[in-house]
Amino acid sequence: MADRRATNRAMFWRIIRRLFGANRGRLFVMLLALGSGAAVTAALLNLQVDAKQRLTSEFRAFGANVIIAPPNISASAAGNQLLSESLMNKIPTEFEGRPILALPFLYLVAQASSDTSQTSIQAVLAGTDITHLPQIGAGWRFEPLVPAIGASAPKLLTSMSPTCAVGVRAAERLKAILGAQLTFDNAGKRASCDVVSVITSGGPEDNQIFTDMAIAQELASLSSRVSLILVSAEGTPGSIERFISTLAKSMPDADVHGIRQFTEGEAKIYNRISGLLTATVAIVLALTGLCVMAAMTNVAMERKNDVGLMKAIGGSVRRVLRLFLAEAALLGLAGGMIGGAAGIFLSIGLGKAVFGLAARPRLIVYPVAVALTIIVAILSAYPLRRLASIRPASVFRGEA
Amino acid sequence: MFLRIVADSFGRRPRHKLLTGAALALGMGVATAALSVSLDVGDRLAKEFRSLGANLLVTPQADSLPLEIGGVDYRPVNAGAYLPEADLPKLKTIFWHNNVIGFSPFLEVRVSSSTPRWSPASAIFVKSAADGDAVLIGTWSNHPVALPDGGKFITGSQQTSPWWRVEGSWFQDGAGECIVGKAFADRNGVIIGSPLYLATTSSDGLSLKVTGIFTSGGSEDNAVVTSLSIVQQYVGKPGQYRKLYVSALTKPEDNFARRDPKTMNAGEFERWSCSPYVSSIAYSIKKVLPGADVRVVRRVADGEGQILTRVRMLLWLVTGAALLAAALAVGASSAASVIERRTEIGLMKALGAGSGTVGFLLAAEQLLLAFVGGGAGYTIGIILARLLGEKIFGAVPEPSLIVFLVIIALATGVTLLGSAIPLRRASRYEPAPILRGE
Repeated sequence: MADRRATNRAMFWRIIRRLFGANRGRLFVMLLALGSGAAVTAALLNLQVDAKQRLTSEFRAFGANVIIAPPNISASAAGNQLLSESLMNKIPTEFEGRPILALPFLYLVAQASSDTSQTSIQAVLAGTDITHLPQIGAGWRFEPLVPAIGASAPKLLTSMSPTCAVGVRAAERLKAILGAQLTFDNAGKRASCDVVSVITSGGPEDNQIFTDMAIAQELASLSSRVSLILVSAEGTPGSIERFISTLAKSMPDADVHGIRQFTEGEAKIYNRISGLLTATVAIVLALTGLCVMAAMTNVAMERKNDVGLMKAIGGSVRRVLRLFLAEAALLGLAGGMIGGAAGIFLSIGLGKAVFGLAARPRLIVYPVAVALTIIVAILSAYPLRRLASIRPASVFRGEA
Repeated sequence: MFLRIVADSFGRRPRHKLLTGAALALGMGVATAALSVSLDVGDRLAKEFRSLGANLLVTPQADSLPLEIGGVDYRPVNAGAYLPEADLPKLKTIFWHNNVIGFSPFLEVRVSSSTPRWSPASAIFVKSAADGDAVLIGTWSNHPVALPDGGKFITGSQQTSPWWRVEGSWFQDGAGECIVGKAFADRNGVIIGSPLYLATTSSDGLSLKVTGIFTSGGSEDNAVVTSLSIVQQYVGKPGQYRKLYVSALTKPEDNFARRDPKTMNAGEFERWSCSPYVSSIAYSIKKVLPGADVRVVRRVADGEGQILTRVRMLLWLVTGAALLAAALAVGASSAASVIERRTEIGLMKALGAGSGTVGFLLAAEQLLLAFVGGGAGYTIGIILARLLGEKIFGAVPEPSLIVFLVIIALATGVTLLGSAIPLRRASRYEPAPILRGE
């Protein structure tokens, strides 16, 4: 009994092998259809997961989206209500795995003059960390760029005197050029700095002068106080909301809120784009599956002769069907494995093309793509069920 | 005879042809939907990005340096320059007037607020004060602008500041109404419907009705916002404004757009000014508003451009992947349909047909299939694209002729390519072994 079963099984596999070997062209066509379907499935699935995450990083382009201000922003004068600089320590550098960037600002109105001209004007002086300014002030143009920390500083920065970045309109008024020395006077205090960069933002920053926090605090006689803190948080709209409420809880004596212009706009756009992406990917996947199925069904239909022969020599309908389904499943497995791997490599390349960063291959995508391909392959072999009802004799007479 | 064979092939095996046709139609359907959406999405998204508000800021050129901290200008009212409101209709006469979707002028004055003990219930007094604790902003809420060509363009802060969330309703332009910021309302105990008095030194002042309380997440939360004309009267600057926000639909800037227009030659300049770059729109606005300095709000414009470029690229890639998959599946399907016809080919050759004739015949069949399948696919795709567009953007993409032509060409190319390899092999068949069944 066991012997017969073993023989049966051996025969089963032998027939399967022969089925594959019988027609190379057909095998190739089937693998091509299944493989291409699997490749697209894997590439799109992988890219879709990745693209949404990358998209949230792209919103960094809008710069700061959260602001920490004194509880009531009714400050009647610039230095009336301030925050303690120690609040900076309460801001995490990371939230839900995404980096958080925070920058304190202290504003004061000071009399400014440049050594390149005689004019002296009132201007807003902002104390901050100008090396981090380009990250918070996304979209602002810095000429030349203030080097980030760690980068080798140009000669100007290594000089002993403090540095400042000047808004383009303030620079026009002061006739300040790169390398000029600015002097500030406020309530009997005096400080100076070297211009290392000119900022064009299109906003109020064009009228301001940015310099080191220590200088501004010294000029305003306000040590370790700041006017506000700007925070740039990245993530999905939901995660930014959570970040804001967490931060608000940890700072009961400050007003933490999203810069609505950007948080709201970002949320709206993010939802649109991710909806678009999901819908496109879903439709492409569904129709790719159907396409592959149609191609496969075509191939399956021509198996009439094989079915007729098998039935003629005594194969039961169930066994014949099992044979073809096994063949389809094996083809799906092979096509899925080859195509899935190709698709993941494809998505890495595509990710690089779109976001400049290779998409991280997600292992879960691979088995999903293979499983989907096998399902499609088996479904495509399904029309053979109808063939099981044909009569062998009529097939051989060439009637059907 | 030729036609008869082709017709016979379709009539004899309708199921096979139907399946190949279905694969083609589905594949081309995907391709059409993806293409239509990709072509359309740029414009739609550009509109979405307008929810970020104005991307152009107009200020007087001769202005003194604004002392602006946290969105509040600390200069006294009489310092600095102003721009005439009468020039504003000209914004809709520039070359890119259709791209200008909204603008609103702003005039601000610092005020102090107080709630005298003897005042009627929740009434609040506001008076101009250089060291005040709040700001009175005059702007348009939904203002009809009479255009030079006789038309009307309705615009205002509701378009340029769409992120303001107003509880109650916006004020009516010129109707003695105002909306107040949340922080201001909380501090002064203002509720919707409260009266608000604008105190002047000379007369009894003006009474405004609070129609809404709004949050903006910015400095406006501590402001009273009312009609531009009321504030102009109040500060004695009739017909003038200080800041103008313009919201325009733009094309993402590329390297060419960033060049200084002064360094371009005539041809380049024409190309530059005929593209709706934010900088060229700023340039044309500057030409119609004398004395104005038009600046691009870099944060909005650059962020928008960057994301738009990325998303567009992403969609093109998805489209490309869809086209590729459709092409491969269709190619596989047409290859299968040729392979299974070995016997027929053998018979035709045995009867004296040359390889060319056989190939031509089969190619004609495939082409017919491509046209029918491609056409059906285009219809499916258009329906799909409509569904997608409606669901995501609430607007349907226009069916375009280019997409149709591309789809038909693609369908033809793909079926022919898919059939080419098996056809080439078929043309080398020796009829005898095939007919013997070997």
